[in-house]
Amino acid sequence: MSTIAQGNHFTQRAWVVRGQLLFWYRDLISCLQSTFATVLRHAGQDPLEVLGAHWEFRFTPGKVHAEEFDYPCRFSGDLGRSLAPYHPVSSRWHRPAEAEAPLAGLIAAAQRQQLTIAAVDNFHLPFRPAFHDVHAAHLVVVYGVDEHRGLIYVCDSMPPQFRGPIPIADFLNAWGSTNQRTEQDEVFSGTGIDRRWLSVELGEAFPEFDAAFLRRALAADRQLWGMRAPQHGGPECDDWTGAPGLWQFLDTLLECSRGGDGAVLAQAYPFGWGPQAQASLHGELLRRWGSQHRAPVVAEAGARVEAVAHAWTGLRMTAAHGRHTPTAVVADLERHARILRNCYEAAVETLYEAEVTL
Amino acid sequence: MRVEVPVEHQANPNGARPVAQPVTMVHGFAMVDLSSLADNRAISSAAALGTGAMNVWGNSLPAEDLPGPGTTLSRELVPFQLVAASAAGDNVRCSGQYVSVPCGRYDWVHLLAAAERRTEDTVAMHFVSGAVDFEALRVSDFWTGAPAWFGEAQALHTPFMHYRRHVQPQMPAQLWSQRVAVTRRDDLIGLRLPHNVAIHVFALTLQTVHEEHR
Repeated sequence: MSTIAQGNHFTQRAWVVRGQLLFWYRDLISCLQSTFATVLRHAGQDPLEVLGAHWEFRFTPGKVHAEEFDYPCRFSGDLGRSLAPYHPVSSRWHRPAEAEAPLAGLIAAAQRQQLTIAAVDNFHLPFRPAFHDVHAAHLVVVYGVDEHRGLIYVCDSMPPQFRGPIPIADFLNAWGSTNQRTEQDEVFSGTGIDRRWLSVELGEAFPEFDAAFLRRALAADRQLWGMRAPQHGGPECDDWTGAPGLWQFLDTLLECSRGGDGAVLAQAYPFGWGPQAQASLHGELLRRWGSQHRAPVVAEAGARVEAVAHAWTGLRMTAAHGRHTPTAVVADLERHARILRNCYEAAVETLYEAEVTL
Repeated sequence: MRVEVPVEHQANPNGARPVAQPVTMVHGFAMVDLSSLADNRAISSAAALGTGAMNVWGNSLPAEDLPGPGTTLSRELVPFQLVAASAAGDNVRCSGQYVSVPCGRYDWVHLLAAAERRTEDTVAMHFVSGAVDFEALRVSDFWTGAPAWFGEAQALHTPFMHYRRHVQPQMPAQLWSQRVAVTRRDDLIGLRLPHNVAIHVFALTLQTVHEEHR
């Protein structure tokens, strides 16, 4: 893992956030988790402990976007708090005001030595494989702006990984892209990027990751699994959550497949990335903790949760490949839906077994 | 020494006659020719990028950096025979295909495989006694940066990735050598691959039981 030490202002119009900016990647996460992970590492935190502590099922019907970072927020509009509800992490979306210079917010954050996360269309980014080939909504960490030399500093942990300056002109094209939808780019295109960016606030008091913390997290897993309605989303929230929510999501997916509605199948791919990533991180965290603390029951619970992540692959890929022939994949989707349900139930059972040992 | 083994048609657990795959024996390994089951093209040449699609994004593996179709190769002392060249494709994208194998005792089923995202599923093993065992098949991702999550050996590696309209440097891809244990002391007659389109199988080899261990 390479690192770089950032300098302070090197001209009057250039600001770069100081400190080590490190990549962090897992094969089942998306740019959503990887960008927050870089911000957390920069603050000296372990991304796996923070992003892997929480686990639930949540689906917001009618609000799936064709973006790699699509994620149903438990706390409306706050991706950071939704990803890490047991830690002092919070984020807020911004768009430049009409009257201000487009980069003003990013520059102001860099001046305050704060990392930001910007939405981009990979089609316009020279370091992305999709450059001038595929439109796809993506996130990168922004850690500096050099107006004098026309450069912006970005960090992207997703393969092939990049960290360094790119021309501001390229960034503006990616940041302001309409993310044009074409037939071959349909997975993550079609939603305008609209110069969105995230500010991320990290508090001082990160909890100690110990047995007591883990016990509370596992208890919360169990509570959220059995919960029909979210407690924190407000009375207007109509998210599908926990076991009832998962059944409802799967039943609806299957109904749409039988009815020939390929659009709903196509949405299972971007939506499913979030719960797949979350399960993979939660499972890895439990397995790591169980292994390090000679707690085999906890490690086994972790492996069961990871199996949920692995079951999401079958469902997501069957739905995505079958989006143009939805009735032809009904049987396979039914099979993967059954496997996924079974994996969730087995995981929740072992989480309880692990919880009582802590 | 290679010995061509005549294909035996086994009793079919489903009633219909299975498609029998030719097998080549090499030093206690039975390399099953999957060519007749090939249904996906995951390998493309730089001159015809759009002809391959290993994932929903249409990425494929560069033919220039892989052994040719039908080639026999060895990884971790296990020989594999790649799918032969055909219009049907270069791998079996798993959708519940039944693979008929020469009736015999085997310890391991070795697969040259990769997944579109890491995944777990099951292989159904059919035995001459009528027994059927479901065994886990776990396959890691072919994508750049993905580790051998399930402890596979890396079998093949390419320095580039093919996109539909360009060749992408710094995006290596990989295929894995994975194995599934045959735990039952019975003669295996066939395998049903998972119903899981994320899993691509490029070759399959059975490792026979050593005479002393029968």
